[in-house]
Amino acid sequence: MIEPSWIAGLGVILFGIGLLGAFLHKNAIVVLMCIELMLNAANLNFVSAAMHYGDVSGWVFTAIAIAIAAAEVAIGLAILLSMYSTQETISLEAADILKN
Amino acid sequence: MVNSTNEYNLLAPLLFPIALILGLIIAPGINSSDASILIVLSPLVAFPIILISGQIYNGNDKWKNNLKEGGIIAVSALLIPLLVSIWIIGDNISHTDGHSIITWLSDWIEFQVLEENYVLDQGRTLGIGVWIDSITLMLIFVASFLCFLICWFSMGYMNTDPINENRNHRFYAEFVLFAMGMFGMVLADNFLWLFIFWEIMGLCSYLLIGFYFWKESAAKAAKKAFLTTRVGDVFLMIGLFILYDIYDSLEFSVIFDDPSLQGTVDSTKLFWALLLMFVGAVGKSAQFPLHVWLPDAMEGPTPVSALIHAATMVNAGLYLVARMVPFVVTGDGYNGVEGLDDLGLIIAWIGGITAFMAASIAFVQNDIKKVLAYSTMSQLAYIFTGLGAAIWLYNNNHYYAGTIAFGASMFHLFNHAMAKGMLFMASGSVIHEVHHAHDHIHHENEDSDHHFDPQDMRNMGGLASKLPITATAMMIGSMSIIGIPLIGGFWSKEGIIAETWASFFYSEPIMLGPAILVLLTAGMTGFYMSRMWFMTFAGAPKSEVVNHVKENTPWIKEPLVILTLISAFSGILLSLFGVVDYLAGKSDHLSYKEIIYTLEHAFIPEDGKLMIIGWTTMFLSSIIGPIYASRVHGGPLNDDQKSNFLISWLVNLSGKFGKQDVSDLSKSSLANALQERLYIDDFYDWLISKTVIPFSHFSAWFDKNIIDGIIKQIESRSILSSLQIRKITTGKARDYILMTAVGMLSIFILAWGASR
Repeated sequence: MIEPSWIAGLGVILFGIGLLGAFLHKNAIVVLMCIELMLNAANLNFVSAAMHYGDVSGWVFTAIAIAIAAAEVAIGLAILLSMYSTQETISLEAADILKN
Repeated sequence: MVNSTNEYNLLAPLLFPIALILGLIIAPGINSSDASILIVLSPLVAFPIILISGQIYNGNDKWKNNLKEGGIIAVSALLIPLLVSIWIIGDNISHTDGHSIITWLSDWIEFQVLEENYVLDQGRTLGIGVWIDSITLMLIFVASFLCFLICWFSMGYMNTDPINENRNHRFYAEFVLFAMGMFGMVLADNFLWLFIFWEIMGLCSYLLIGFYFWKESAAKAAKKAFLTTRVGDVFLMIGLFILYDIYDSLEFSVIFDDPSLQGTVDSTKLFWALLLMFVGAVGKSAQFPLHVWLPDAMEGPTPVSALIHAATMVNAGLYLVARMVPFVVTGDGYNGVEGLDDLGLIIAWIGGITAFMAASIAFVQNDIKKVLAYSTMSQLAYIFTGLGAAIWLYNNNHYYAGTIAFGASMFHLFNHAMAKGMLFMASGSVIHEVHHAHDHIHHENEDSDHHFDPQDMRNMGGLASKLPITATAMMIGSMSIIGIPLIGGFWSKEGIIAETWASFFYSEPIMLGPAILVLLTAGMTGFYMSRMWFMTFAGAPKSEVVNHVKENTPWIKEPLVILTLISAFSGILLSLFGVVDYLAGKSDHLSYKEIIYTLEHAFIPEDGKLMIIGWTTMFLSSIIGPIYASRVHGGPLNDDQKSNFLISWLVNLSGKFGKQDVSDLSKSSLANALQERLYIDDFYDWLISKTVIPFSHFSAWFDKNIIDGIIKQIESRSILSSLQIRKITTGKARDYILMTAVGMLSIFILAWGASR
């Protein structure tokens, strides 16, 4: 039996890795992957809480969050594709049309 | 003239309102005062219908020919008020309890008032209701009857003039909206609704005077009318505030039930409230010193002049003053309200001055509509004088004389509205036919530079043979206005003049002024009305246009004939039935009196002094005035021209008194001053240019530099600061993520700190 606190701790570590990656990388695909990491970290937190309280709703939320994450990735990739087709790069340095 | 074919089959839609009203009369459980809401509702519904369908179907052949660009809808919508008002009159005129019936239709606004000790009172209600007494009955009949007839007349006058093509729906829409305002004002059972409808009429008057808004003179006249009456309306509003302060209500039933005589009411306050309300009436009824708008208002189409500026709206002021009379009267034998004597004297003086001034300016006008406009002012001033005398007499315990003065004033309102509405329509007929004749003969030579004024009486003359119906109508109407014995206005004008003198004889020396002025004005009325008729219809033609005039426009003759009969006979018939007592509230139903008694009363009153006054009036107005006018302007027609028997005697008579040349007199400085309207308009222009215009320049400067300056400073400063703030947004995703993370972290830290 794994302690829920271990799972929560893994979630925190994953979240930190994801956050740092999202900060430091220029490549948009890597940033997208890091965002997925953070999302899964949140899922792990749900799971740990569900185990701790013995409440099934945490599991349910996790399942829903995974489904949403899939949809979100599809949209994110589509944005990146269209960005590549217009700007011929997916470096986030180039995406600065919101400047000023 | 395009055609004069029979168009009466277009009137088929009129069967619908007739059927509706008959159905309501037959239906059980509905009485006439419940149906009175229809009087206001029907034009209110017709207004958007005409306006919107006019916008949609403009130019459509069916809309133009079968519906007369909305004219048929307007006539149908105005037939309902006419029928309902006849029904109400039929229900109430014979009942002995037919006085001051109030029908409470519904509540409108409920509110509470914070009293001085910061406690809300029990709550008050402003309601919608109908107040019916003899004055309401008379005025609602005048208003609905004339609205209907003049709308009918408009279908001939407006729709056959090419300049109005595709614009008539606007005319008819505003026309019915005005009708709604007038009906509502007459039926209102409190001063608030009276004021609201009063303003609706003011708006419609503005819109209709400016109907030819692309002409600069019309646009200016509309503005002048609106602003001048607005001056009066501000005072009226203040007066109503004071009245509300006194009575805590504006309902007639509350105010008139709580007569000021019991000493509970501050009579000074009441005096000021009524005086300020009278100023509002002065503006609306075009009395001195707010009379300047009425002559200019003749820029509007002639049916508008007939309805609004002669027969109905200008009577609103008189109606308001008539509603002040119950403040001083509750019955026989009490001592009046202290201070309200002065109110009666002020009203009588304003009336006397206006009557005399307007009549003298009418002497020199050559525009046929301007003569009638000044005549309207002068006749309305008679009614004001009569009402002023009535207030004075009631207040000094001369109950009997007061009822005659008040009843005669109201009766003069009736006679004047009928006669003047008809005179304006007849002048419209003259203008219309002269205009068409002019277009007809000048069509070939295409001399567009040629300037011709179809309203100028110096271009007319000898029209009696060309326009027999119009000439007859105008003759009867003028006789009614002049007060030729036994016809129309005679029955009421005699009463007003006699009772004004009576109040002088009852030891009130200040009344002498108005009394002399109205007596002189009677003679002057005889002159200028006859002058207008002789200049237009008698003598030899003064321009070649006259020879081509024909009287064949459809829709125009019927209203003239109907109103001619009414003007000629209603005076004597209603007098026989004691209408003066009825209108004054002395008797509560009409009842037949003997002819001998009525005639004796009018010609040989018991008071010898009044008899002298009466005969002087008759002598001045029906002998001196007309004879002098015929010496200047009269003359027989050309030999080859014939007129019908009703008017030929007058045309021939007018040539019998010799000729008098007045060209020297017409160049004198007095005539010049009269031409310039006694310089009152110039004085107002000067006054405004010295006071209002500098103030508006200052306001414009203040607005531009101070108010706009502050706004512009705020604007430029915020642009500068936003330029600075903008630099934070780098557009780089990682910066945003960083900011989000930092923000999240700080929220967590705060939450964590707070939870400890």
